[in-house]
Amino acid sequence: MREPAARQAARSDVLLFAGCIGLALTALALPRSWALAFAASLRQTAFRPVVALQSRAGLDRTSRFDLEQVRHSHDSLALLVQQQAALRLENENLRGLIGVRARLANPIVSAEILHQPTPTDARMILLDVGTANGVRIFDPVVTADGLIGSIVSAGPHSSNALTWVNPDFAASAMTADGRVRGFVHPATASRASGPMLELHGVALRDSLAIGTTVMTAGAGGVYPIGIPIGRVVSVGKEENGYDRIFRVLPFAYPGNASHVLVLVTPRDSIFPKALPAIRDSMVRKPPPVPPHDSSVPKLAPETPRP
Amino acid sequence: MRTARPTDRRRRSRKGDRMRVVAVMVLLLLLEFYLRPALVEIRHGAPDFMMLVLLLLAIRRSPGVAAVIGLVIGLVIDVLTPAHFGAGILASVLVGWGAAWGRSLFFADNLMVNAALFFIGTWVRDVLLLVFSGTSLKAMPTEALVWAPLQSLSTAIVGVAVVIVFRDWLAIRIEA
Repeated sequence: MREPAARQAARSDVLLFAGCIGLALTALALPRSWALAFAASLRQTAFRPVVALQSRAGLDRTSRFDLEQVRHSHDSLALLVQQQAALRLENENLRGLIGVRARLANPIVSAEILHQPTPTDARMILLDVGTANGVRIFDPVVTADGLIGSIVSAGPHSSNALTWVNPDFAASAMTADGRVRGFVHPATASRASGPMLELHGVALRDSLAIGTTVMTAGAGGVYPIGIPIGRVVSVGKEENGYDRIFRVLPFAYPGNASHVLVLVTPRDSIFPKALPAIRDSMVRKPPPVPPHDSSVPKLAPETPRP
Repeated sequence: MRTARPTDRRRRSRKGDRMRVVAVMVLLLLLEFYLRPALVEIRHGAPDFMMLVLLLLAIRRSPGVAAVIGLVIGLVIDVLTPAHFGAGILASVLVGWGAAWGRSLFFADNLMVNAALFFIGTWVRDVLLLVFSGTSLKAMPTEALVWAPLQSLSTAIVGVAVVIVFRDWLAIRIEA
């Protein structure tokens, strides 16, 4: 009598297991844009309390333990801004004299990284800001030290950023003096100290000294020019021998960062308009930013220079 | 005066046991999503309370139900960190099913067996997650042999502490 019941239970176990595996494989096979949209919609509905709770926890930790550090950073930056005021004025005057329009400044949105204890956490970080804060897809994400990545999906109150640790990351890069250009992407082999980047596309005739700073080159339109990426630590050669590969130790590691800045796309940028298909397939249209939103500094209207 | 029948009493006590298990799981989830991020910054090797929830529930359930629990926990992982959507679900389903199935092979009332279960479960989940996320073979040794064991160790230590503190609520008899 007992045996058929046990056999029935074993059969239902196998069926449940097969069903779960089927669902998992279906999720694994979903196109990235669908998967990101699905994850974003779940974060806005069923998992919204989880995201809100973790965001609240981050704020509590900052106010409790990191206040001294925040105050120190604030004071240092205030001093720096004070010292550079004269330089900025001089730069603006010179730009005016030669007829170059004022440099466009990206408005910034500060965000908290909601880390998860998984080994792939650093590849795709969750931020506690979204389209309600003015964040949009392709907005660059940086820390005070350097580049982290860019936004790949944005919901109203949270967003995901693809970081430089992700195998899909790539960015145009150049040396600080602009002499050598190429592109960076994650190194295939990581060291015990952590993952690294590789600078590719450098001609064999060009050489870089160890310690050279690498920055974003601005090509492609996602990352503005001049964001520090890292420092050259070793030189190698591509397998076919066509170009040199420089291993770059990044300045900022997404797994260790707790706060980031999202460089919100300037309002006159043509980039989101140029790729309407990608934008529409990956993110919902953001609602208009409220006029008195203090978290998004407003851009000064640009006046054409005579 | 009417006294409760033995079947009612048994049903009530079973319901009470279930409520206590749910309370421990809620506490672990609260630790995962509020207390831990409010107290420390998550770094490499931090204990994974979601894995503890999965393993503690999986060893109490049949393999099929454990796979469903794995599906739900994997979905939470993938929604919050969609590095490769579906990788967390697949890894958690396999670990949940494996833990429940493995329980029939060993008697999990020994503290060291529980610790080994938490360690191996977390390590296998991490390695599967890395494999399904498309981690390159060159990067795998560092992740699988340095960082994953570190996280498994911290998870096992916390898991043992949870088992010791809540042994009555979880109805786990611990042999010396």
